Amino acid sequence: MRPALRRLLGWLVLACAAMLGAAAQAHPHVWITATSELIYAPDGTITGVRHAWTFDDMFSSYALQGIETKTKGAYTREELAPLAQTNVESLKEYAYFTFAKGDGKKQKFTEPVDYFLEYKDTALTLHFTLPLKTPFKAKELSLEVFDPSYFIDFQYAEKDPVKLVGAAADCKVQFQRPNDGSAAAQKLGEQNFLDGSASNFAMMFANKIMVECP
Amino acid sequence: MPMLSRALRGLGVSVAVLAAFALLDGAVHALLAQNPFGAPRAAEPEGGIVGWLLAKQSEFYRQMSATIRAAKSDGSAVWTLLLISFAYGIFHAAGPGHGKAVISSYLVANRETARRGIVLSFASALMQSLIAVLIVGICAWLLNATAKTMCGAEKAIEIASYALIAAFGARLVWVKGGGFIRAFQPPRPALAMAAAHHPHDHGHGGDHHHHHAHERHDHDHGHDHGHDPHHVHDEHCGHSHGPTPAELAGPGGWQRGLGAIVTVGIRPCSGAILVLVFALAQGLFWAGIAATFAMGIGTAITVAAIAILTVSARGVAEKLSAARDGGGMLVMRGLEFAAAALVLLFGIGLLLGYVASERVTCL
Repeated sequence: MRPALRRLLGWLVLACAAMLGAAAQAHPHVWITATSELIYAPDGTITGVRHAWTFDDMFSSYALQGIETKTKGAYTREELAPLAQTNVESLKEYAYFTFAKGDGKKQKFTEPVDYFLEYKDTALTLHFTLPLKTPFKAKELSLEVFDPSYFIDFQYAEKDPVKLVGAAADCKVQFQRPNDGSAAAQKLGEQNFLDGSASNFAMMFANKIMVECP
Repeated sequence: MPMLSRALRGLGVSVAVLAAFALLDGAVHALLAQNPFGAPRAAEPEGGIVGWLLAKQSEFYRQMSATIRAAKSDGSAVWTLLLISFAYGIFHAAGPGHGKAVISSYLVANRETARRGIVLSFASALMQSLIAVLIVGICAWLLNATAKTMCGAEKAIEIASYALIAAFGARLVWVKGGGFIRAFQPPRPALAMAAAHHPHDHGHGGDHHHHHAHERHDHDHGHDHGHDPHHVHDEHCGHSHGPTPAELAGPGGWQRGLGAIVTVGIRPCSGAILVLVFALAQGLFWAGIAATFAMGIGTAITVAAIAILTVSARGVAEKLSAARDGGGMLVMRGLEFAAAALVLLFGIGLLLGYVASERVTCL
């Protein structure tokens, strides 16, 4: 028994060192309060997603570092244009934290259009539209918004988190908030995590939007 | 008889340590489903201790901005800020997550003492704070650079730090591999060595505390057994308590840990940088600096606690393996080698992006 115990102990020491190291990093530094709109063409195809992401106080202030303004403390859309450009360019690397599936098939987005930043009440809001590479029709659309590395915490607004724009009247939208420790109060979609579809830990932080159009 | 009681006591301690680790492991595991070091597993939300830690940490962190704002008009809020930052540091548990892994593995691989573990933890955490202050001080305060530039600098430092970890691990593997292979001698030489090593093995089992106690002033201690020619080359013996120039990190006591300090300390915590820039924007840069160091001290306490835990666990493993002759040494050398390999793997994993959760996100 002792050699086995010893081996076990040795491995545990190592495993724990590694795990603690890796796990502790999985925590957010940026908080985003989001709202999203799904945009439909008249014929019922989905053409894209329009996001509005409001950054937390601290990150907003960080992002504004070094930006010159005419009036101190006020930022116009024009003054913020270069920053908005930087934002959408940087987001590309992270696939815009937006993951879409039409009837189970992954869908791709092209580069954002109509993007701008807004500064209000010490917080920055990034508005941008993600066009789908190939607009599609689907009975079942799923859209997930989250950061797999959990550097950013995405939480949807309490009021009107998701809207359908131009969709057929009989389309039904369902919205599930993440079910992680920091959002324990919002226990929606628990079954979703228990049915084994989420084999990735990051899925804990995912906001899931599902639209069904018969 | 004393052997038996020692073994029993060791067993008891190890069971306690095991239980603690099992608890931690269970809590941590849910978060690691995508980590290369953890087996994939269905996500388990509400992850016990870790979930709570994350929630606490976020709570403290989010209070910081409000407190800095309050400090503009009410100076006493600075004390609250320091307290929150300190608590955040503790919960944050090592600014860059890899800090603990590197320090712990280094301590195991190099047979270091708990005392050195504590010093390494504090030195690296304070260096981290200093680097964060320097980055923001130079980029934002002196040059008024944009967030893009600053984050770019942060990313460059991050890559460099991962390369450093890999290099540090490679060096450990190189050195430890030798010890491991030597411990792996074929039966006949091993027999001869076992005889020659006997007093030595004994020394490691029983004299361990003795070494600890004298760690500070006695650098030649390990060479007491130096009459055996094997020992002169057998770096694991004298090495830990009496480094010679040929050994791991060059001459001297503290210089030896410098590699670990720089490897861990060079990468600042993103949280600290955000707080510093925010404080600067509020015209309270000094409060941000104070908060950063308070965070660093909190972080150091947690890392030091883990370092102590690691060193004790290693001590238990050593005691258990010393109770058995011959193979015990092989196990310990194997453990050291594995710890060294872990640092290397960790560095490579970070560098290649397998440990994706450690990346700074620039927006």
